[in-house]
Amino acid sequence: MKKELKIKQKERTNPLAHVFDDFIRFCQSKSLFMLHYCTGCGAIELPPAMTSRFDMERLGIQPMVTPRQADILLITGYVSIKTLKRVILTYEQMQSPKYVIGICSCTVNGGMYWQSYATAKKLNEYMPVDVYIAGCMPRPEAVMAGLQRLKDNIRNDKKEHKGSAWKDYFKRYDYYLGNQQALFGEDWQTPTDIIAEAKLYGLETEETYGKHTKLLEKHQTPLLPQEMRIK
Amino acid sequence: MNALHLMAELIFMPLIAFIVGMMMVLMMRKISARLQRRIGPPFFQPLYDIVKLYGKDTQISHGLIHDIGIIMAVGGYIGAEILLPVPGMEGIAAKGGVITLSYFLMIPSLGMALGVGQCANPNGSIGISRALTAMLAYDIPFILVVFGAAWHYQSTSLIGMIEYQQVHQWGIVEMPLLAIAGLFALQGMLGKQPFEIYIAPAEIATGPMVEMSGKYMGGLFVMQTFQLYTAGVLYASLFLGGGTSFLTLLPKAFLVVALPMSIAFMFPRYKTEDVIRILWKWPVMLGLISLAFIL
Ligand code: SF4
Repeated sequence: MKKELKIKQKERTNPLAHVFDDFIRFCQSKSLFMLHYCTGCGAIELPPAMTSRFDMERLGIQPMVTPRQADILLITGYVSIKTLKRVILTYEQMQSPKYVIGICSCTVNGGMYWQSYATAKKLNEYMPVDVYIAGCMPRPEAVMAGLQRLKDNIRNDKKEHKGSAWKDYFKRYDYYLGNQQALFGEDWQTPTDIIAEAKLYGLETEETYGKHTKLLEKHQTPLLPQEMRIK
Repeated sequence: MNALHLMAELIFMPLIAFIVGMMMVLMMRKISARLQRRIGPPFFQPLYDIVKLYGKDTQISHGLIHDIGIIMAVGGYIGAEILLPVPGMEGIAAKGGVITLSYFLMIPSLGMALGVGQCANPNGSIGISRALTAMLAYDIPFILVVFGAAWHYQSTSLIGMIEYQQVHQWGIVEMPLLAIAGLFALQGMLGKQPFEIYIAPAEIATGPMVEMSGKYMGGLFVMQTFQLYTAGVLYASLFLGGGTSFLTLLPKAFLVVALPMSIAFMFPRYKTEDVIRILWKWPVMLGLISLAFIL
């Protein structure tokens, strides 16, 4: 039943293409919309960072409310297994280029929830993380510094290749999917077709596919639009 | 030569509107930042936002109507811009007049409704139904204001109205009640508190914008610049005597746009039915009283 999407990469023939690319990258680093997924106690440091004390808006960072509109996914604290599912769904719905920031030690290595059976320990096993801000909890200055680091990474991406971690999700999808399956069971499936997206961006590598994506294909049920009905 | 001249005007009028509109967006954000004792965004922030949104790698369309809806939303305002005379450029204002203009101002909301409808997101549908209800609410006082002004100046052409005001007195001196009613309608039209129930970011996730992303969101940002410019210049032409040059027109337009933002934070957010009740009561009453004086 699965319909193959026909996708073609267009040749870029415009001689000024890289100038436009540079300009767009500059603007991307100057204007970041942020979706804060406040999972844990670290979220308490966000209000001072956003409001009059530290004022994120002067860096061009604004809060937004849906994953469609956002560029940054801000994970603020421990991620329980149940929350992680939602985080991944949210992450996959965001539009590339997209960035993930893990605030708090709990996202780096489990922090003081290291021994808990219910939390995911390292966030970057499940999705590529651009910047980690360690601390329990990090002060708003640290949050601002982390955001500044992300902006610099995006601006210097051409030289240093630090601002495009999101591509890693497509390039090594099998690895991320494997870790997700280990937590959520073999029939884990999200509504977003990552492999088709990888093809669209021309980002598929050998590591995009593997035994985990095979497993996914076996269980995958085609996504149909939901029937609209009033009960 | 004449056709060429007109073509140039048709291109430049929306362009000026876009640039001035971006500055108005900046001003709005600065005002709200200052009121909250923040510094606010840098000067080019509105431009960065728009370029960034158009430059996104993923652009999710929900179908043809979604695309057309956004084009209608921006196109309606571009149409309005060339009907809105500014110093030195008249576009097709002499043929259109203020009644055509008020029709054009309804197109963007309808376009949004079409586009949001296809997104099939319940938050979007709630938002757009509230937005259209709010439009019904502020359009009654708006039409009263336009009718009253047209009757008073004995002309439906904006050019005629501006000329009248430059010979006689400003409209706001001759019909103060109507001008106040106009300010009410303006607050509703710009969707500022207390009339911003259809955006409600924390409750219905920005309503109509919920599924908009990338260039669709960018289109809405462009639309916002046009909206602020149109509101400011239209009000300035109706009541503040327009202007003989941009130096006299733009400060008035900026002032008009700054007013709703400066008082917005004093209000809570009214429910949809309360929005209708308030907008159909006070500004309509003021408008009718002032019509009684004018007629
Ligand atoms: S690092 Fe500390 S403050 Fe942050 S989520 Fe973990 S326990 Fe809470």
